[in-house]
Amino acid sequence: MRIHAPAVALSGPSRLVRAAVFLRSFAIQGSWNYRTLIGTGFAFALLPLLRSRYRGDPARLRESLERHASLFNSHPYLAPVALGAVAQLEADGADPLLVDRFKAAVRGSLGSLGDRLVWAGLRPVCLLFALALAFAGAPWWVPIVVFLVTYNAGHLFLRTWSYLLGLREGKGVGERLRHSFLGLAQRILTVLGAFLTGLLLPLAATGGALRGLGPLAERAMPLPWVAAAAAAALLGIRFGSAVRLPVFLALVAFALLGTLLRVVA
Amino acid sequence: MNLIPVALWGGVVGLDAASFPQVMVSRPLVAATLAGLLAGRPADGFMLGVILEAFALLVLPVGAARYPEAGTAAVAAVGAYLAAAPPELDAPLLLAATAFGLAWERIGGLSVHAQRRLNERLVLGWCEGRRRPDLELERRHLAAMGLDYLRGAVVAASGAWLGALALGWLAPRWALDAVSPVGLLVVATAAVIGAVLQLFGGWGERRLAFLLGILCGFTLLLLR
Repeated sequence: MRIHAPAVALSGPSRLVRAAVFLRSFAIQGSWNYRTLIGTGFAFALLPLLRSRYRGDPARLRESLERHASLFNSHPYLAPVALGAVAQLEADGADPLLVDRFKAAVRGSLGSLGDRLVWAGLRPVCLLFALALAFAGAPWWVPIVVFLVTYNAGHLFLRTWSYLLGLREGKGVGERLRHSFLGLAQRILTVLGAFLTGLLLPLAATGGALRGLGPLAERAMPLPWVAAAAAAALLGIRFGSAVRLPVFLALVAFALLGTLLRVVA
Repeated sequence: MNLIPVALWGGVVGLDAASFPQVMVSRPLVAATLAGLLAGRPADGFMLGVILEAFALLVLPVGAARYPEAGTAAVAAVGAYLAAAPPELDAPLLLAATAFGLAWERIGGLSVHAQRRLNERLVLGWCEGRRRPDLELERRHLAAMGLDYLRGAVVAASGAWLGALALGWLAPRWALDAVSPVGLLVVATAAVIGAVLQLFGGWGERRLAFLLGILCGFTLLLLR
């Protein structure tokens, strides 16, 4: 596994400007829309740098803001890669055409890489771990604290690492990303996720989700319900996320049925 | 029921889901527990949060996809449940609150879509005829975030209010056997947790790790 440490001394934007761009990157999706996606947020995050770069030249500031506020998309945690690289390119006075081409080239890969790594990796793994604690009977605050700490350790590390990588590598960041630890991390997370899913199923099928229900949880789940839960889990494994809607509709139907029976009677 | 804390917390949850800062307090597990904590019943909020979280695991906010918003709905469902349920556990109401939360997620999802359409108009023409376009861009971006907070607050508070009315009507009329709601929730949770395997490559790619997990799960059950 190779984790590229940031360069000791970064040329280009000042420390204060770099910090401001990084902090603003947390709000990069603030004006998410179907026309520019996170383009406006990208320009918002980059604004401290552009202001310092084009101080006293409002026409060029306007022109560069317009360029950066155009269509852009990325996973929010990996957007700092593009922000760091563009900050470096802008500070170096790179050709605007080159900057635009760079943004167009990285936006697809940063999106899909982040989706796989975070949305389908880090986040469900941390949540499954928290649910496992809950199903095992931990007090309510333990899974919450464990989830928030473990998830955000990964989240903040990823944002910081990717921003520093972008600043250091500039337009060569794509090559660095290809050879980074992210691919391996994603594979480890999927194995861990599958293990935790397996771990949770016996606990869930025997009523673990309702541990903490007090008197009801003390009672063992009747065997027919456990068998039904096991069969439902098999259906879930077979059909994946397609089971979500039918299960939801079944719950609504039972909730209504339970009431209407009394009303009719 | 005091809707003010529900609205204030719902706004934070709505904002965290996508706009800022995505530290995942918007996950149903966290959002519901803290909503319960605000009402002095964190364990009840936690229980609903666990169930709603199992459903939310399957929803991925990939690209420009439209998806149900689980966080604000979890806050609304907890608000509704706590307003309608007695201090001790009420299993039928728990089932009804879960169903309500899952339905309200779709309203939340529609509100996110509407907000994104509104943002399109908000960010359109930000630099036209402006002496300081940089300030205008900042102003509009922050306004979009402010509206997102407001959206989350309205979705959570209105959901809690409507849900409380619906659950309050339902509570005295429940006629199914007491174990049924619990059994139904267990079956539903098992189905959606089984479906989570798909996120990690499914049975075809990850059966070894999955089976090892099942073995450990059974061991835990035996040890308990």
